[in-house]
Amino acid sequence: MAGLAILKRIYLAVYNWVVFAGWLQVLYWAVQTLRTSGYEAVYAAVERPLQFAQTAAILEIFHGMFGLVRSPVSATLPQIGSRIYVTWAILWSFPETRTSPIVSSLVLSWSITELIRYSFFGMREAFGITPSFLQWLRYSTFYILYPTGISSEVGLILTALPYVKVSEKYCLRMPNRLNIAFDNYFATLFTLASYIPGSPYMYTYMIGQRAKALAKAKKSA
Amino acid sequence: MLVTVTSRSGKEVVKGGIQLSENATVKDLKASIHKRTGNLYPERQRLSLPLVSGETRPIVLDGDKRLCDVFPEGSDHIVILKDLGPQVKYSTLFFFEYVGPLFIYAMFYFLPLYKFVGLLEKRVIYPVQTYATIYWCFYYFKRIMETFFVHKFSHATSPLSFVFRNCCYYWSFAIFIAYFVNHPYYTPVGETQMYIGFGLGIICQLANFYCHIILKNLRDPKGQGGYRIPRGFLFNYITCANYTTEIYQGLGFNIATQTVAGYSFLVVAAYIMSHWAAFRCLVQK
Repeated sequence: MAGLAILKRIYLAVYNWVVFAGWLQVLYWAVQTLRTSGYEAVYAAVERPLQFAQTAAILEIFHGMFGLVRSPVSATLPQIGSRIYVTWAILWSFPETRTSPIVSSLVLSWSITELIRYSFFGMREAFGITPSFLQWLRYSTFYILYPTGISSEVGLILTALPYVKVSEKYCLRMPNRLNIAFDNYFATLFTLASYIPGSPYMYTYMIGQRAKALAKAKKSA
Repeated sequence: MLVTVTSRSGKEVVKGGIQLSENATVKDLKASIHKRTGNLYPERQRLSLPLVSGETRPIVLDGDKRLCDVFPEGSDHIVILKDLGPQVKYSTLFFFEYVGPLFIYAMFYFLPLYKFVGLLEKRVIYPVQTYATIYWCFYYFKRIMETFFVHKFSHATSPLSFVFRNCCYYWSFAIFIAYFVNHPYYTPVGETQMYIGFGLGIICQLANFYCHIILKNLRDPKGQGGYRIPRGFLFNYITCANYTTEIYQGLGFNIATQTVAGYSFLVVAAYIMSHWAAFRCLVQK
């Protein structure tokens, strides 16, 4: 149905630009705070737009599931999973991590990557154009920003680790009637371990996407 | 007749093709291909006809069909060969899936493993934990016995990769459940609930066994393939009664032991079996 296609396009255009605006705020406040107050204050300045923009990305899992976009769930799930985990289970849950300098590298890596990505898709959905410069940025900046972003995520999780252990936050102990237990410290270690296969997987996925995109661009040129 | 064997990309797999008699079957062709290629035993081969324009799914060639019946009038005798990768028998696959949980659960019951997570060595063992171990281990023992002595399998084989994938599924859940039921801080349910649970489980296991017998007797003793609709017993009311009894036996175990781990396994298994049953229902229509 043609009507459905137009609806989908409007929805995706709005989605991409709204989240873009969120990340723009994050980048702006991060840079401003670094220039005026210093890295300890960065989290406090960006908290709300960061939580908004990052949490909104959960919708992208459904976009993939229901075929609104072509990205496979296998690529979006680990990416969004790790982002949500760091945003909520680490930064929001353990305030002791907020004053780390790693927060700055994290926030800068994430916001720059996302600004490029959302503007790229926003342009395509809203205006039907895919500016080659934006496309080049999208498929090239990850070479630097993925490593810096991933290292920042891992760094922050490591920073939080002692607090996770001591506070016993989110832990569920036995005995209980449901005979279930959850140890946050073990779960956090397990999450850290998942970065070992996860990071090369995501990195090589992007390299593959780059090759595909550039081949397509060459064909249509 | 001369049959040309190519890969899906069009490259010739067997140089010069294969010369066969006019009455040769697909099975004979597969045997010849095996002889010529060396490593591609018949179970590893998927033979299909070249795609006609407009088709998306290829027509896979059935073993017993004669080649002269398979090729359309006047077409070239070309078959497309896909290597399905190393194959294992279904009985092999099932054996490894089931032997893991059998030993894993027993280990958690008998061995002092919990000291490795910093818990006490000495613990009180509740009757329900003992019965659960007997029930669980007997259940997987039954499944292994059925694999070798009851079930008659249609496809001879399954890809090797399924062994790793399926064992991950079965063995991980076995560890998950065995850990919590045998835990030093396990909280048992009331005695009545335990008896109801195990009672339901035993009845459903017996029913499930009978369903398997019915299914086994469906298969033509001459080994002819094809799907037959099971009749009698619960099959008069339920399409895949064997899956139903399987699920309810799991429910019985969980009513008796009451763990999140056990119930989550039940939910996942029921979900998977519902998919299989839905497909079976479709085939029956």
